[in-house]
Amino acid sequence: MSKSIEQKDFQLSAETLASIDGIIEKYPTKASALMPCLWAIQDELNHVPEPGVDLLMEKLDVTRARVHEVLSFYTMYRTEPQAENVLQVCHNISCHIMGARGIIAHLEKKLGVRMGEDTPDGKYRLEGAECLGACGHGPVMQLGKHMHEYLTPEKVDGLLEDLGKGETPRADTDRELEE
Amino acid sequence: MAKLTIDGKEIVVPDGTRLFDACTEARGGDQLPHFCYHPDLSIAGVCRLCQVEVEGMPKLTIACNTIVRDGMVVQTRSERVQKASKQILEMHLINHPVDCPICDQAGECGLQDQYMEYGLYDAKVEVPQKVNKRKVKVIGPQVILDQERCVLCSRCVRFCDEYSKTGELGIFNRGDRAEIDVPEGVELNNNYSMNTVDICPVGALTSRDFRFQKRVWMLKAAESVCPGCATGCNVRIDYEADRIYRLKPRHNPEVNGRFMCDKGRMTYKTVHASDRLEHPTMAGEKTDWSAALARFKDGLKLGLVITSAHQSVEEMGLLKPLAQVAGGAQLSGGLAGSDMGEGDEILLNADRTPNRKGLEIVGLQEHAAAELAEMIRAAGTVLILGGNPAADEQVASALKSAGEMIYIGTHANETAALAAVVLPGCMWAEKAGTFTNKDGRLQGFKPALKGRGSAREDWRILAELMALAGAEEVPVSLPLLRKALNEDLFAGSGINLNQLPVHGACHGGESE
Amino acid sequence: MATSEHRILSSRFGRKDGHKLSVYEAEGGYQALRNVLGGKKPEEVRETVKASGLRGRGGAGFPTGVKWGFVPQDAEEVYFFVNADESEPGTFKDRYCLDYDPHMTIEGTIISSFAVGAKLAFIYIRGEFGWLIDRVQKAVDEAYAAGYLGQDILGSGYNLEMIVHKGAGAYICGEETGLINSVEGVKGQPRIKPPFPAVAGFLDKPTIVNNVESVAAVPWIMTHGAEAYAAIGTEKSKGSKLWSVSGPVKNPGVYEIPLGMPFREFFNDYLGGMVDGEKLKAVIVGGSSVPVLPADEIMDVPLDYESLGEAGTMLGSGGMIIIPESSDMVELIQVLMHFYFDESCGQCTPCREGTGWLHRIVKKLRRGEGTPNDLKLLEHVCDGMMGLTICPLADAAVMPMRSFLEKFRPEFEVLIQENEPTGCQTRWPRGEQE
Repeated sequence: MSKSIEQKDFQLSAETLASIDGIIEKYPTKASALMPCLWAIQDELNHVPEPGVDLLMEKLDVTRARVHEVLSFYTMYRTEPQAENVLQVCHNISCHIMGARGIIAHLEKKLGVRMGEDTPDGKYRLEGAECLGACGHGPVMQLGKHMHEYLTPEKVDGLLEDLGKGETPRADTDRELEE
Repeated sequence: MAKLTIDGKEIVVPDGTRLFDACTEARGGDQLPHFCYHPDLSIAGVCRLCQVEVEGMPKLTIACNTIVRDGMVVQTRSERVQKASKQILEMHLINHPVDCPICDQAGECGLQDQYMEYGLYDAKVEVPQKVNKRKVKVIGPQVILDQERCVLCSRCVRFCDEYSKTGELGIFNRGDRAEIDVPEGVELNNNYSMNTVDICPVGALTSRDFRFQKRVWMLKAAESVCPGCATGCNVRIDYEADRIYRLKPRHNPEVNGRFMCDKGRMTYKTVHASDRLEHPTMAGEKTDWSAALARFKDGLKLGLVITSAHQSVEEMGLLKPLAQVAGGAQLSGGLAGSDMGEGDEILLNADRTPNRKGLEIVGLQEHAAAELAEMIRAAGTVLILGGNPAADEQVASALKSAGEMIYIGTHANETAALAAVVLPGCMWAEKAGTFTNKDGRLQGFKPALKGRGSAREDWRILAELMALAGAEEVPVSLPLLRKALNEDLFAGSGINLNQLPVHGACHGGESE
Repeated sequence: MATSEHRILSSRFGRKDGHKLSVYEAEGGYQALRNVLGGKKPEEVRETVKASGLRGRGGAGFPTGVKWGFVPQDAEEVYFFVNADESEPGTFKDRYCLDYDPHMTIEGTIISSFAVGAKLAFIYIRGEFGWLIDRVQKAVDEAYAAGYLGQDILGSGYNLEMIVHKGAGAYICGEETGLINSVEGVKGQPRIKPPFPAVAGFLDKPTIVNNVESVAAVPWIMTHGAEAYAAIGTEKSKGSKLWSVSGPVKNPGVYEIPLGMPFREFFNDYLGGMVDGEKLKAVIVGGSSVPVLPADEIMDVPLDYESLGEAGTMLGSGGMIIIPESSDMVELIQVLMHFYFDESCGQCTPCREGTGWLHRIVKKLRRGEGTPNDLKLLEHVCDGMMGLTICPLADAAVMPMRSFLEKFRPEFEVLIQENEPTGCQTRWPRGEQE
């Protein structure tokens, strides 16, 4: 017998709900739609709260244990609200050789937090990440969907300045592409 | 069929046999080391302990996920295999807490057993370095979880997914942070939850009921049958002196496989209820057997004998002769439709009595309440053997206005309260007997405890009453009683109550 | 800087417009698909790819055409997965393929799916490649609109649906059965084998999982023929390979060179050697999960599967990590052991406990609390992991650990003798100190 945990403000937009239904239709089985549905919820709410789990349990006919297994297995799914800007700096071998530790130390000083912590105002979270697949461009940091590469303390400062102004810093993966 | 060589010994097994099982056979019943393999669950292949050397395969291979092939040559005790077993066992131990002194599993623990057999090394990891997880987490009404002790064999998760189909358990997180748990807000609360305690090879999942009650090596075992419903799961009563500590399922591939339901598991508690009848009473006053039986020294005349589907075949089998010698009493198997509940698709049967089919075999009919009440009113002296018909209002009212009632029972219930004479009998765990399950399968059970106080086995009480009623011959032992019943009830079918096959025997069908 | 004569995979790398369908088509894209669907049978495609000698480029190096042949002939429901979960440290070539030339992979996937009889193909892209997933989805939409995907493709009667599936951060999902499990909606933990995916994979149906780089080569092979592909490379290592190069060389990045080029030539002519002030100490040649080779042991080794095997390492994913003299090998192995500890799926005991244990022991060494026994212990744990697990992640942790111990033992022993904590010795590449 499971009890769903109440959350007063849980609401998903019509787009997200439609997207979820579309995903379920596209995928060969209901259960296989779990990951993209979790992303749909997290993309809107920045995390997957328990009522989101309830919703997917019903729509996909899966147990709560199953959904939480998946949520806890992958690093990118969050069940708690995240800070506004989650800065994930790769600390794997290539980036390490190219100076990731220095970048991390610099960020720790600038933000006043240690790795794995949130700033008190909830605006930034500094995290370590394993290899982000940009090894030749290191040191590398992930912010949202994009990568910030070839990091130097100056570049990091510029990034933080943009974020501080509420602007989206230009990312290296955000290449000007001819449409 | 496939012929293969295991440890130099040739064996022949059916095609499709798992190499794990073939190895067990070749090794004379000595199973390969293992945690995650379970014959009734899907293959996980995660503990990595059952690795063997198969000629032609460069790496060791797990026997649980290998199907035999004709001509396979297998080594289960080579140096390479032994080295691997030792190493992998060590991996299981490095984060395992040194809880043995306080862990219920001690004495029946897979880690302990395997360590003693082929481990016997010193720990290479200091205790403060071990990964810490939650201990003593109540995850349901019956089960307590200790995540540190868990070896992540995943048997419990697979059980809840595949057998009870309730899916409460999961394994969360990755790497050595992985832990078995229920998600927040979920309880391990299904009628088969305690089987997870059985199948957990270590002390990660333990029974709340059994927690800290008794060291397992102090327990004795008696082979019995659960009295909780008509499925008749085979059980093992674990007891010491005059106390039952727990029931465990016994393997019977024809009845319950290797599992039983939680309701059945807890039926032992009624044996230790505080309202057990311990001594004969007359008009509510405690007395002794000679006084109580002396009441009938001038002969016993019965107008009606009522029994219940809770009694054994042997006890039911004595009722017709008793009724006859006691003046041609009417007979009833008890209240029709009594003790019914909701069955599930797994083991629990809607019929909550263990021997309703036994009434059929013996030729006793149950009666509706109104009819039974009339029979009572029409009778003189009524003998009630077991059950609690007075729980029904019509029956109770009939008994109140009827003549004398003698009750052979085990609990101070409504029927005992209305009895002129109460003779304390034995419960299933205190006597030997036979039950017939829903499929007509006769299964014998043996006692663990003696009767409470001065209680006597029911068949013995019936024999005494037969003597008082003037019978010339009365049964003097259970084996002889069974022999007589073999001839009366089972002649021609080959069934011998004294020597039932280990998995029981079907009446009216093939024997096991 | 030398450039490769072969542009099988990398012809559009570095361009701003290479991802566009119009550009791809103008440069010959989807012609291979037209030819295949215009009259070839699936067996012909399989035979051609087999004859080409193309080997799985994700790391296993298994002959692609042979793998395809494992799908039962009479299979009715077959699935095709493209593994773009690229998470092997040092590897970023699949990213380049999908970033600069998504249609190459899409076309290769369609042809490959046709070859095995699949009607549904997934491109599984690691979740961290967020921007890339959008880009690939756009390309898939373009392909649908142009009639290269969907029902009755190019009037051939062949149907193929394609789904871009987003991962969520787990290296182990790069293992093919872990990937399959991930898409089925359960944890991405590898499965025990047998059964093998080609027989029973996704939803227990025949499934083929190929790396991006493997399928990306298929259009070229179908256009130019098996012999043309087999003419490149060495006798047993045919074709060209994308090498991901990272570390303090002058020109890190992704290179396409024929298999068999000597490391020295690659290092000097293509990578430009080390940046000023750095000397080559060691190379991890195939992604972090292969043994490390000291500089003097790699210099003259040809970069192909067999030669690297003989040299004591593996070609793996071709993720080449250049390690400079200024690096502290124990520090680097701590970084790697943390990686495997983090990424172990936790299913099977030797890996789950072993990766944690290796990481803790190395950390202990670096804290200055190491004892001589700890080095023996590291080897002992490695013995208890290697070859005993469901998937090769345990081996992937053991190979660097063992090779670092073997080739750079003095750096470990120094820690034990000195018994005091060591600081980070990585040089800031632009000359600034920490």
